[in-house]
Order: sequence, then C-alpha cells, then structure tokens
Amino acid sequence: MVSLGIGVKKEKKRRFRVSISEILIFLLPLIFFTVILYLMVGWTFYISFSNWEGVSPKYEFAGLKWYKLMFNLSRFHIDVRNNLTWLLLGVFPTLLIAIFLAYFLEIGGFKKGESLIRTLILYPASMSFIVTGTIWSWMYQPDKGVINTLLRLLHLDFLQSKFVTDQATANYWLILIFIWQYLGFAVIILQASMRTTELQEMVEAAIIDGASKLDILFRIILPNIRGGILILLSLLLISALKVFDIVYIVTFGGPGYSTDVLAFFMYIATFQQHLVALGAGLAVIIFLIAFIIIIPYTIYAMKRWFA
Amino acid sequence: MTEDILRRKVSRRRALSTAGKVAIGAIVAGVVAGIGGYYSGLSAAPGKKVTEKVTVTETTTVTKTVSPTIVTRTTSPTEERKLEIFHWWTAGGEREAADAMFRVFKKHYPDVTIVENPVAGGGGVSHRVVLQARLSAGLPPDTWQTLGGAELKAYVDGGYLVPIDDLWEELKYADVIPKPLADMVTIEGHRWTVPLNIHIQNILYYDKKLFSELNLSPPTNYDELMKTVKAIKEAKPKKAPLGLGTKEKWEAAFVFDALFLEVAGPENYVKFYKGLSDPKTDPAFRKALERLKELQPYIYPYHAGLTWDESCGLVVSGDAAMVTMGTWAIGYFISRGWTPGKEFGAVNFPQKPARILLGHTDSYGLAKGAPHPNTCRDWLRTVASPDFQIAVDVTQGGMFARLDIDPKEFPDPIRQEMQIYLRNNPDKLILDQHGSIAPFSFTQAYWDVMAAFITTPDIDKTISDVATLMETYKVKEEAAWYHWGSV
Amino acid sequence: MKSKAWYILINILFLIFLFWYVLPIYVMVITSLKTPLEITQRTYLFLGGAPHFENYLQAFKLSYKSLINSSIITVVATAVSTFLGGLGGYFLSRFKWRISKPLFVLIVIGMFIPYQAVLIPLVQLMAATKLALTYAGLIFSYIILNVPTAATLMGTFFFSIPKELEESAEVDGASKTQIFFRIITPVAAPAYISTAIMIFTQIWNEFLVALTLSTPYTMPITVKLAEIKGSYVALYNLQMAATLISSLIPLLFFLLLQKYFIRGALAGALKG
Repeated sequence: MVSLGIGVKKEKKRRFRVSISEILIFLLPLIFFTVILYLMVGWTFYISFSNWEGVSPKYEFAGLKWYKLMFNLSRFHIDVRNNLTWLLLGVFPTLLIAIFLAYFLEIGGFKKGESLIRTLILYPASMSFIVTGTIWSWMYQPDKGVINTLLRLLHLDFLQSKFVTDQATANYWLILIFIWQYLGFAVIILQASMRTTELQEMVEAAIIDGASKLDILFRIILPNIRGGILILLSLLLISALKVFDIVYIVTFGGPGYSTDVLAFFMYIATFQQHLVALGAGLAVIIFLIAFIIIIPYTIYAMKRWFA
Repeated sequence: MTEDILRRKVSRRRALSTAGKVAIGAIVAGVVAGIGGYYSGLSAAPGKKVTEKVTVTETTTVTKTVSPTIVTRTTSPTEERKLEIFHWWTAGGEREAADAMFRVFKKHYPDVTIVENPVAGGGGVSHRVVLQARLSAGLPPDTWQTLGGAELKAYVDGGYLVPIDDLWEELKYADVIPKPLADMVTIEGHRWTVPLNIHIQNILYYDKKLFSELNLSPPTNYDELMKTVKAIKEAKPKKAPLGLGTKEKWEAAFVFDALFLEVAGPENYVKFYKGLSDPKTDPAFRKALERLKELQPYIYPYHAGLTWDESCGLVVSGDAAMVTMGTWAIGYFISRGWTPGKEFGAVNFPQKPARILLGHTDSYGLAKGAPHPNTCRDWLRTVASPDFQIAVDVTQGGMFARLDIDPKEFPDPIRQEMQIYLRNNPDKLILDQHGSIAPFSFTQAYWDVMAAFITTPDIDKTISDVATLMETYKVKEEAAWYHWGSV
Repeated sequence: MKSKAWYILINILFLIFLFWYVLPIYVMVITSLKTPLEITQRTYLFLGGAPHFENYLQAFKLSYKSLINSSIITVVATAVSTFLGGLGGYFLSRFKWRISKPLFVLIVIGMFIPYQAVLIPLVQLMAATKLALTYAGLIFSYIILNVPTAATLMGTFFFSIPKELEESAEVDGASKTQIFFRIITPVAAPAYISTAIMIFTQIWNEFLVALTLSTPYTMPITVKLAEIKGSYVALYNLQMAATLISSLIPLLFFLLLQKYFIRGALAGALKG
C-alpha cells in the first residue's frame, strides 16, 4: 500500500505535467462549442432589449419595451399556460408509458417481435415532422378524417371527437402526437439502462425469491435505472418546452390561440411580423422557464454525481 | 472482476480498432466533404462577398422597341452574367411558370446563368424566414419575389433594396399598368420593384354543376349570398354552402374582407386598414362583423383544421359549394382536373354597389449589394415585358400587370373577363390582405383575431381586440405610405 | 378469472397502441399511390382507383440528390458531434475542476434555447466565417447545435461507468487519452449509439437551418419535401412518396446501430 501510495503520487506528479495537454483534448471542444452556444444565447438576450423591428438589424438599446408589450398581449399569457400544460402532460405520460413498454419488452413480452416493435415506434423519428404533422392533421379531421371514419365503420360513432378543431380539446390531441413521436427514444434509453449485468443479477435473484413481475419493476428496476430516467426526463422536458413543428403544421396555434406555444409565437413574431426583438424576448422567457425547471434537476444531479 | 474487464478489454480491442477506424474515416470524410463542399459552394453560391458600394447609375445607352420588347444593354465587362433569384414557385403549374420566366429571360439575354433558389411556401411564408436571416447576415441574392405593400416596405425600410425609378422611366412602365398597382410598389415617391402580375383576393368560386342543378346564379352581394347559402343548405343539408380553411388564419380575413368591402365601400376600406378609423366606432366594421356572424352557420364547421388548398378541395370533393379564394386557386383547381367555366365558375365578390378588385402582386426588385446588379436590371426589364407576362401569368394563374396585353391570351373566361374589367377600370384595384396595407406586425395578429371570430363570433371582443392591435402595432404610422384614390 | 380479463385488456390496449403507429404509415402509403384529385376526396383509408406506383419514380427523381445531400451532411455532422460530445462528456464526468460544474449546468440550460432563436445569429456567424452557403456551413451549423446535447448525454452516461476500470489502467501507466480510447469508448458503446441515433434524427429532420443555409446544390431532404409539395398545387402524393423513400435511410441507420445496441451485456455501461 505504501509503495503504491508513493508510486501513485509520483505518477500523479508526472502525469500532471503531461496530462494538461491531454486533458485539453477533452476540454477544448467543449469550451469552444459552449462559447459559441452562449454567444448566440447572449445575442438573443441582447436583442430582446434592443429596438430591432423590421428586416434590418437595429442594435440600439430599448430597455424593457418589448417585455412590456409582451406582457400586455393576452396571447403571451395563453402561451405560458399552454407550455406548462405541455410540460406536464407531454413529459410524464411519455415517461410512464415508456417505462412499462420497456419493461414489457425486457421481460420477453414479444420475443421475436421485439426489435420490430422498437423499430416501429422509432419510425416517426425517421420522417420529417412536416409530413407526419400533415398526416396527423388528416387523422384528426372531424368529418372525413381517419380516426372518426374508422370509428364510424366500427359503429362506435359516439366516440368521435372534434379533435383539434375544438378549442377545449385541441391541445391534448397535439400532446398525444408528441408522445407518439418521442416514445421510441424513451424506450431505447430505458432499455439500455435496464440491460446492465448487475441489474440482471438482481432480477434473477428476485425471481428466485418469488417476486412478482410488478414487484420487480418497482422495487428493483426503477430505483436502479435512475440515471436513464433522469436523462430521459431532461430530454423530454427540453423537447416539450421547445415544441414548434407539431403546432406549426397541425394547428398553426389555433383555433384561436388554444394551441399556441411560446416557440411558435416566437417564430411568428420574428419571421412573419418582423418583430425580431419581441421574438428574442420570447426566447428569453422560454429560457427562464427552463431555468426554473432545470435548477432543481441539476441540483439533484450535482449532488448525486459530483458528490 | 478485473479478469472480466481484461477479457472484455481484449475482445473490445478489435471492436475498438474497427470503431476507431470508422470514426477516423468519418472524420476524414467529413473534412474532405467539407473542403470539397466549400470549394463547390464557392463556385455555386455567389454573393458571399458583399460590398456596400453599389452604383445605381449606369452608363451605356439602350435601344428599345415596343412590344414584343427586346431590350439590349451593354454591361460592365467585370460583372459575371449571373442572376441569383429567390422565388416560391416550386411544383406543378407554378414550376412551369418559373421555367417560363427563365425561358423568356434567356431568350432576351442568352448569355445569362440563372441560379435560382426556390423556397416553397405560398405568399412567401418560408421566404420571409430565409430573407430575414440572410439579409441581416449580409448574404443577399440579386433579387427576390415579393408581394409589394407592407412586406415590400419592410425591405425598403431595412435598406435592402435599390430604387429603380430610372428603370421605370426607361420602360415607361407606369403608363402600361394600373395606377393602383404602381402605387403598391411605390414608397416615399420611389419605385422599388417591377410587378409581373396581379393576384385578386376577393373571388367567389362555386361548383358550377351544383348551381345549374339548383338553378342558382352566383351571388354578387351579401343579400344574394345569404339567399344562396340558405337555398343550398335546404337542398343539400350535408353540404357546407361556404367552404373555408382557416389553419393559416388569413383565409378568415378573406371572407371578412368580402363582406366588409361591400358595407364600407372602397374608401372606408382603405381608411380602416390605414388605421384612420377607430374600430370601436366604425359602423361599417361592426356591421360587417354582424353579417359574418349571420353567415357563420353556413360555413364549413371544421375550418380550423384545413389549409387553403384543402378548403378549395372541399368544393372539388363536393363537401362545400363555394369558397372565397384568390386567383391562384385557379391553378389549384386545374391541378385537380377541373376546368374553369366547366366544373367551376368564379366571380368577383362583392360586385354591388361597386365592383372592386382586392389584389396584390408578385414582383421583383434589385437588392442593395446585389452580386450582379446589371444582370438583375436586365432581369427586371424582362419582367416588365409583355411576352414574359403572357408566358408566365397564363400558367401561374394571375392576371397581367400590363394592360396592353390582349385578355384573350387567357385560356379561361374567368380571367379574361376580369382583365377586361381591369382594363376599363384600372382605378378599381386596392391592396389586399396578402400584400398588406397595414404593417405585417398588425396583419398577422389581425388574421388570428378574425380566425378566432369565425370559430366563436364574439363581436364586442373582436372589436376591442382589433382596436388594441391597431394601437399596439402603430398601424396609422406604418400604413401612412399607402395611397388609394383620395385616401 | 381476473388475470384473464387483464390479459384481454392488455392485449386490446396493445393492439390499439400498435394501430396508433401503423395507421399513420398506412395513410402515408395509400396517399402516395393516389392522384391529387383522389387525395382531395379525403378517403384516406382507401385507394381512389388504381395504385399509381409511378409516383415513386417521379418522387425519386425529384429527391435523390437531396437524399445524397442529407446523408452526407447528417452522417458527418452526427459523427463529429457524437465524437466531440464524447470527449467533452468525458471531461465533465471525470475532471472535477472548478470549471466542470458550472460548465455542465451552462450546457444543459443552453440546450433549452429554441433553435429558431439562434437561427439569425447562427447565419450571421456562418456568414462571417464565409462558410454560409456551403456543405461545410451546414455541417458546421449542425455540429454547433448538437455538441451540447451530445456532451450532456455522453456526460451523464459516463458518470455511470465505474472508475475502477480506469484506475487499474492508470496504475499500469496509461495516459488519459489511451484510457479513453481503449477502455472507456468500447464500454460506452450503447451510449454512443443512443446519442448518435438521437442526433442523427434531429439533424436529418431539421428544417429551419436547412431552409436558410441551403442552396439548390446543397439542399437537404426536409427542404426538398416542402418544395415537392409546392406552394399552390399541394402535391401531397409526391410528397408522401418522397418521404417514405427518404425515411428508409434513417431507418437503415437505426437498424444497423441497433445490432450493437442489442448486445446488451455491456457491463457497467448504464448503471442507474
């Protein structure tokens, strides 16, 4: 032990001099891209306080002008509410369904068909959202759309819905599309987390002890795949907060503003209304919401991993 | 444990070396592709070096003959004969129109190379994104398709266009197009683009076979419209008398404008969108909303989920009897196999008490800092020429900008009739929702309010919303540039 | 009795679930075989007449160049992003320098900025580096947009790898880079693969940046699909056919990578 200790210390010293350049290999790309990322974030921050409306850049300082305008628009408040709905209803159902589905696949629910199912639920990700959104518009049309037509064929007329043409329900149907898109990734990440030998061993032991399938899921698997769940959770939160494509194609924020979200408003403000500063302000708001949500998460992650 | 790891390490070694080789290969490929792309990009994408020094004054003389116009021009020897052009005519009939544009251009000027950047999205929806980003980064093309009106003003205010008064003088263009059309592209006394067509907004398309079956004639004002929709509803309860698709929101404003124009009359229409009348006290605005509310039950109920083309599709599939849409729908109907005058008819709406055409134009200008300004000017000359407009407008679905072209060039009776009307009444043309009298910051939000109204017709709320929008987006100031008649 | 009812219920739910995924694809295929007029009838579940397989020919002719473009751009950008993300993630997980914590937080938060917001500064940046309208510009833009994601993903994956592996190698005198490339990387293969799949998808389907920075020569498939549909004529049939053709490439990518993924017993890779 003693010799090892000395050896380690010596090597540490020697390595320290050498490894600076080595470590730079790992550090530099990271710093480079973080700097660029934050240059762009900083640009957005600055522009939100500038006077840029119109096509050409105007960089003069304008204070809180656009924030004031933003807060006076009812659209903004509806958006924030919608975004929070998305966060709640988009992220957690996806997570839950993915956990059960991943578990189901792991316990051999579909032995031969497993990769088929996985490919099937990954398929939406292989296509442009512009096109999948168009298809979902057609699925959701109340009079001749796919779903209602099927329901009528099956004599289940009473189950028909007005889907996204009804202000009260539109958001939920959009969130369903989100779940549809992201389930594939979720299951992959969770399955990867479940496939560690330690976990397999624990599960085998539990089976010997006679634990039920659900018991195994809740008592053994879930506590041990926390890493995967946390990664997944952050990815889903980010995607839900930034959601744009689905809204753009399927409802364009309508009917009224019932499906409007901040990222969509940001797009319209910047590129259609030419109010670039307002758009930047909206991006900042998204950022701030993210900050509020992500802080507890990072504190937790920090405690766990940097401890 | 360590043995395990070591064992895996050994079998990993092979996997690693292949993985490593793949990774290195990918990176090398990437670098090579990048460098190759860079150099091919250099030759393919001109205009990366943007110089602010653009001399507007040219030197040499021109010989010009009256139609068919072949204009020759000597250009400075240093400029490459290339045109970098942005447009949104990308598929089907529009693509043919774009090809026609370039065919005629090459006929006039055989030595040019055309580098086109087609960005799909009618009305320039995606266009605005690309231009906003590229212009603020200093990467302008030579010219781009623009609708005139407030959208054009945004580019003018940004300083991205060069005034082309000299070109208009040379071509005497103001003499051959309707004055209101020229005014759409005239801002602060200068001409900024060359219109190549006119697209009319307020057209009512109807299912001709249905109308003859029910012995109906196309309505020309609101009272007739209400009679018609009621008759259709009685005879065919499953069919929506008026089809509509409000997904992109502006379609709702089209319907409203059709009613508003009749109630307000042309001058008050213009005054309203110039922000000169208060929505809260304007009797015409309120009345038009009331009328729209009356009409609402006869409108296709699931409009929120349809795009404009799908709303025209409602007429084709028999789910609706009529639809208000612009002249570009003619191309759509044709692509579905319907012939103008046979399966469908179209009339301006309203036609009483006055028949006004609400329209916008597709036009091209000269970018400031354009990589090839002289070639661009030649392009603009071509755009203004009759053979260009005949070749392009007939295919694309718009009307001729030039009034000296024979309306019979149109294969369909609908546009023939409208062109003749325009010829005889060139002043009856007002800028519409797409081209926009009011600034786009207002117009976008206004469309949202109108689309919401059709879903839930709350008159008072709509009036107060619109009034707020007019203030928030300073419509009176921003729309002051537009003039029509005495307004 | 109870378990039988459960069994039936679960099976029905599963069927509905499968339908949920198969139905949209079915509609796409049916639509791709129609004429525009037939699509207008909105009989989404059935063909309007004979299937028009020639749509695929036409769609392929229109889109194959863009498919090549997208493939090159996406593969290169994904490979580089994942690789650099791996490097960065390793730093975050192993080196407890004072800079690590705040850097990590910054990166995660930075990922929340909507990409529409950074479109304009990104284009300005590309223009300044004279790379704007080239392959390299597009690739570089996507790398910029995706390295933070890659680094975070890989970083969190790396956290779960026990340090014992490296420590024993360190004792033997291996350098950090040697350890990284020879020991850590193979163990983290499923992490690399999940990250690569995610980033590949994001780049392949990305529209706004592609729209703004592409030229007709470098046009990726997402922009091309919009072009195929057209501004006024709405040629959904061709668009659907082209989409189905183009979706084969990411699908192939998934299937290929999933092979490595399924060899699940990559011990210690993803402990919770």
